[in-house]
Amino acid sequence: MTNIIDPIAELDEARVENQDVVIAKSRIIFRRFMRNRTAVAGLFIFLALFLFSWVGGFLTPWDKETIDPFNIGMGPSPEHFLGTSQAGIDLLAMVVEGTRISILIGVIVGGLSVLISAIYGCSMAFFGGKVDSVMLFILEALIMMPAILVVAVATGSGGDGLRALPSWLLLIVVLLVFSWMGTARLVRSLSMSLMQRDYVKAAKYMGIPSMKIVRRHLVPNIGSLLVLDFTRGVTGAVLAEVAFSFIGIGIKAPDISLGVLIGQSTGQVSSFPWMFWVPLTVMFLLTGSLAMMNDGLRDAFDPSSSSIGSAKSKTAKKKTR
Amino acid sequence: MLKYLLKRSGIYLVMIFLTTSAGYFLAVSSLKPALLEQEKIPRPSPEQVTNSFRLLGLDPTKNPWERYVDWLGGVITRWDWGRSPNGAYVNAEFTDRVMVSTRLFIASIILTLVIGVALGVYSAARQYKFQDRAITSYSYLVHILPAPIAYFLVQLGAININEALGQRIFFVTGISTPGIDPGWPAFVDLVAHYAVPTFAMTVFGWAGYQIAQRQYLLDNVNADFVRTARAKGLTRNQAITRHALRVSFIPVAQSIAFTIPAIFTGGFFAEAIFAWPGVGLWSIQSIGMQDVNVATAMLAYGSVIFAVGAILADFATTIVDPRVRVQ
Repeated sequence: MTNIIDPIAELDEARVENQDVVIAKSRIIFRRFMRNRTAVAGLFIFLALFLFSWVGGFLTPWDKETIDPFNIGMGPSPEHFLGTSQAGIDLLAMVVEGTRISILIGVIVGGLSVLISAIYGCSMAFFGGKVDSVMLFILEALIMMPAILVVAVATGSGGDGLRALPSWLLLIVVLLVFSWMGTARLVRSLSMSLMQRDYVKAAKYMGIPSMKIVRRHLVPNIGSLLVLDFTRGVTGAVLAEVAFSFIGIGIKAPDISLGVLIGQSTGQVSSFPWMFWVPLTVMFLLTGSLAMMNDGLRDAFDPSSSSIGSAKSKTAKKKTR
Repeated sequence: MLKYLLKRSGIYLVMIFLTTSAGYFLAVSSLKPALLEQEKIPRPSPEQVTNSFRLLGLDPTKNPWERYVDWLGGVITRWDWGRSPNGAYVNAEFTDRVMVSTRLFIASIILTLVIGVALGVYSAARQYKFQDRAITSYSYLVHILPAPIAYFLVQLGAININEALGQRIFFVTGISTPGIDPGWPAFVDLVAHYAVPTFAMTVFGWAGYQIAQRQYLLDNVNADFVRTARAKGLTRNQAITRHALRVSFIPVAQSIAFTIPAIFTGGFFAEAIFAWPGVGLWSIQSIGMQDVNVATAMLAYGSVIFAVGAILADFATTIVDPRVRVQ
């Protein structure tokens, strides 16, 4: 019975292969993303910052440890492009280092937390029943814990074992533990409703293996959410790092991050303004570029997206008015 | 309904117990107040330190499990949350701190809610017009600004205003000036201290509500029941306020109940920046002072507040949404 070949379907396939132009999905996504000018600008700013954080050190002969005794607390000058701190350390070198640490924290926390929440949420929906309720209990208990207290305990007064780790690594671990629950819950409810859809049911009755169903039907539908959540997670992690370091409980000197640089300079905004405004601007560029990308990524990845080129979107706008 | 609420409360009690216990073990194994005592002048001998901590019930020679049992016994039998390394009672100080935090946040919570929801409705009704674009892009801008830095910028602005006018109009830190006359001067002083923190928290707080309310309302504006309402002869504004707004308020009502713990955590930053000695600042300081009992009590408080928020959210949904029935 299974070997019956539908002649019309075969004909259709042949026609598709020969004549019609088939655009690959990745290409559609890429085109949709490129159509959003703001998102492309955001991507460029982000890439530029990323590049800056790795090769920016070559722009200046100074590094973040060398003290220049002739230029202590000096404003921007040809010798130090962004000025020096009150200890005589080149600000550009510190900003490069800080940006790298901040991007690192953001990308690692954002990426891993999306992965954890996807796996956790999907397995909750997939297994259901007892497993689901136990996992949901753990999840809600974690949401309940005020993250800031745990961050403060872990980074401020960790035991000897924790002290050996660099503080940015410690912060990554703590932020990771407290960042994935919201998305996991969303993934759970979303994939639960997807499992009830007719096309998933149909695929099940056709005897398609579960892994294939997950890959074909669940992942593309949750994928847009996950991609969105990645950029949102990166933004969240960067902001959390800045906020925690700003009030002195995240990353601790001598480790440098954007938050540390901003936090250290708040006391002397009037006397050393460049120490405050430069890292703040870099942080704005970083979080701002991610926010700009966010919208474009949503339009690009969402299978039910209404973003179909400028010609149609104009008419769509007119309709809503 | 009552049965359901009781059941939820029971589950949350178990959760609070578990998170608090986990927090206690984390705190007891990583916070070592004896190390700070070594920095005192004259330096006490280790025996003196151990002895004074034993009297406070913070015996460092016991293992974490024994201390946990002692502490839990105190909490359950006498509602005694223990003492700080400097001898203060947690219970006594807690009440003062909660009052300070509540005073700081109550005004800005209400303002944030009202302004956020109102702007959300306003911008949804004028989708893609100038007002909508301005309001919504402001909200997105606020999203990429960390709260403590935003507060700090407001503080800087207030200092600049004070300097420009040559007199101190706004107080950027603290609760009140000591030794001020009661009556009218005390009231002026109160307002001067309130103005900056409340302004900062409100201006940077409403963005979330605005975006959420706008989104949910837009989802409903073109729904069939709104079109029906218009077909019956209602004006667009009537149809929105009477039909679309009610439905779109449901998820917002839920998020309102859930922001109670978020405000609590936001409180850490506001209290630290504006130097209001409330609950949040106390928690951060307690960890700096290696204070196990205060840190645990704060964790328990945070969990309780969250549970209250979650139950309120359920409750709010059943009240606002006629489609939800609790069995």
